[in-house]
Amino acid sequence: MREFTATVLENVCIAEEIWSLTFALEEEQAVRPGQFCMIGVENFPLKRPIAICKAEGERITVCYRLKGEGTRKLASQYRAGEKLQVLLPLGNGFYAEESEKRIAVVGGGVGIFPLISAIRAYAAQKEIYAYMGFRNKAAICMEYEMQRAKRLVIATDDGSYGFCGNAVQAFKNDFSNARPDVIFACGPLPMLRALKAATAGMGIPVYVSLEERMGCGIGACLVCVCDRTNGKKARICKDGPVFEAGEVVL
Amino acid sequence: MADLRVTLCGVELKNPVIPASGTFGFGREFNEIYDISCLGAVATKGLTLEPRAGNPVPRIAEGHGVILNAVGLQNPGVEGFLSNDLAWLKSKTRVIANVAGKTLSDYEAICAKLDGLVDFIELNISCPNVKAGGMAFGVRPENVAEVTRVAKRACEHTPLIVKLSPNVESIAANATAAEEGGADCISLVNTFTGLAVDIERRRPILANNTGGVSGAGIRPIAVRMVYEASRAVTIPVVGMGGVTCAEDAIEFLMAGATAVQVGTQNFTDTLACPKIIEGLNRWCDAHGVKAISELTGTLCPNT
Ligand SMILES: Cc1cc2nc3c(=O)[nH]c(=O)nc-3n(C[C@H](O)[C@H](O)[C@H](O)COP(=O)(O)OP(=O)(O)OC[C@H]3O[C@@H](n4cnc5c(N)ncnc54)[C@H](O)[C@@H]3O)c2cc1C
Ligand SMILES: Cc1cc2nc3c(=O)[nH]c(=O)nc-3n(C[C@H](O)[C@H](O)[C@H](O)COP(=O)(O)O)c2cc1C
Ligand code: FES
Repeated sequence: MREFTATVLENVCIAEEIWSLTFALEEEQAVRPGQFCMIGVENFPLKRPIAICKAEGERITVCYRLKGEGTRKLASQYRAGEKLQVLLPLGNGFYAEESEKRIAVVGGGVGIFPLISAIRAYAAQKEIYAYMGFRNKAAICMEYEMQRAKRLVIATDDGSYGFCGNAVQAFKNDFSNARPDVIFACGPLPMLRALKAATAGMGIPVYVSLEERMGCGIGACLVCVCDRTNGKKARICKDGPVFEAGEVVL
Repeated sequence: MADLRVTLCGVELKNPVIPASGTFGFGREFNEIYDISCLGAVATKGLTLEPRAGNPVPRIAEGHGVILNAVGLQNPGVEGFLSNDLAWLKSKTRVIANVAGKTLSDYEAICAKLDGLVDFIELNISCPNVKAGGMAFGVRPENVAEVTRVAKRACEHTPLIVKLSPNVESIAANATAAEEGGADCISLVNTFTGLAVDIERRRPILANNTGGVSGAGIRPIAVRMVYEASRAVTIPVVGMGGVTCAEDAIEFLMAGATAVQVGTQNFTDTLACPKIIEGLNRWCDAHGVKAISELTGTLCPNT
């Protein structure tokens, strides 16, 4: 992990309230799927944690939803050529064992973005079954990246495109096709809880990527903790953001 | 190349830049980004006698130029620090063990455990005092003097820094109280108590409701307090509150500080401390200052 002064290459709107930002680092950086970065926005004391969607040499792409002041300023102010402070790569990321040949990825909302990097990393060696949930048709993005999966089911809450329902419902509905050896998931907590409940007792490892407000992003300040089922605390930025679902309290 | 060394309570630091307690852990994570042996010292996360789990999340919020935190002293306990982190941290730089307690005897016991093992002990007295009905030790001058006296009894070999809370009536009175209690040094400021509201939910953003305000926005208040406190005492002062760059650090030095701590800026820029050290050197060279220690307390107020 390192603090970079990156150069913005592109920062564009790709779907309703969703922007894609590509920047160039000073040098190549190895990034594992599911890792994230902290992006500095001028005059904001805290950097914003954002998943890394694509890492190609020194080129990094992230996608972000316009949420509050910081992400809005990121979208409105940072044009190609501008400098950007970024800290990366952070966190542990998703990992599939050699023996795990079939991976189901289940994502909802901005949770789809870390999963894109997992699809990209594993599509060549593994069979990927992707279940990606969006609010509606206008929010769908990165479809061409998700299509690297062996099977892709897009779900929308309002049924305006693909499966009508959320990503977990889409996954359950398609389970006999997927029969995964391992599941990677990211999305709102209720979605992760539903997935944990739906897969309980099946013996399939489920890895969930968690979100929390962050200070340092590197494990030093203990701002971003969650509870482990063993009673101990874990730092989402350093020990996570990816945890085995049974290992943390959701 | 200016001489950046400063001497604090007879202990030499290679420069006056110290990451502030709670923003730097025990230094290991930042050491993955840069070699922390370049720092004057490291102030550890607040230690307590027993391990503590801290507050529920969210523990952080942001305002314009400031942040609010309510981590609640999550730490592995002093024993955990002694056995896992101290030797490593000492091999890097000077160690300031920041400590907290709920009772006077907590403070005495934790100082006794650290005495002689670290370079400084920094007393965080912004914690609720069980005996005084939950009011922090750091509020009333008489409580400041008492907790300092008790802690000082246990600090036979290690200089004691008392870290003052800014949430008080008179910072000068509390600085004096710490000196009278036997403090070897004072540091200030700790965070200001604040509240950030999520107006959609009509609820505080922090799970703890209130949190400590820090960052660039508090700097003018902190510099004023360092100025007032340093004029009230003869012991050295460590200044902090919103230091983001070398120029900010110099404000504190001129106001009366011998060294500065850097907290929130470590979040904004993980390289903040080494950049500030570099910047101090450049500033001194550009201004013909041979030794940074010459700057302390050189502010000339308008008459
Ligand atoms: C590991 C991780 C990966 C993430 N990946 C993505 C991604 O790929 N795309 C995306 O759109 N969003 C992602 N998020 C959420 C994203 O961090 C927030 O939406 C963003 O920080 C909001 O900033 P803001 O200034 O717009 O909002 P504000 O509400 O103004 O932010 C105020 C403060 O709260 C923090 N904050 C607010 N919401 C969140 C949140 N949900 N999670 C963490 N911090 C928050 C901000 O960082 C900032 O410090 C991720 C979060 C984490 C923890
Ligand atoms: C996340 C966080 C945790 C902190 N934890 C402690 C602590 O454990 N003990 C303590 O004395 N001060 C603690 N502080 C206060 C800082 O050490 C410092 O006094 C304050 O942040 C002001 O400096 P700054 O504006 O440079 O951040 C903490 C501050 C932050 C932001
Ligand atoms: S954000 Fe500092 S420990 Fe995770």
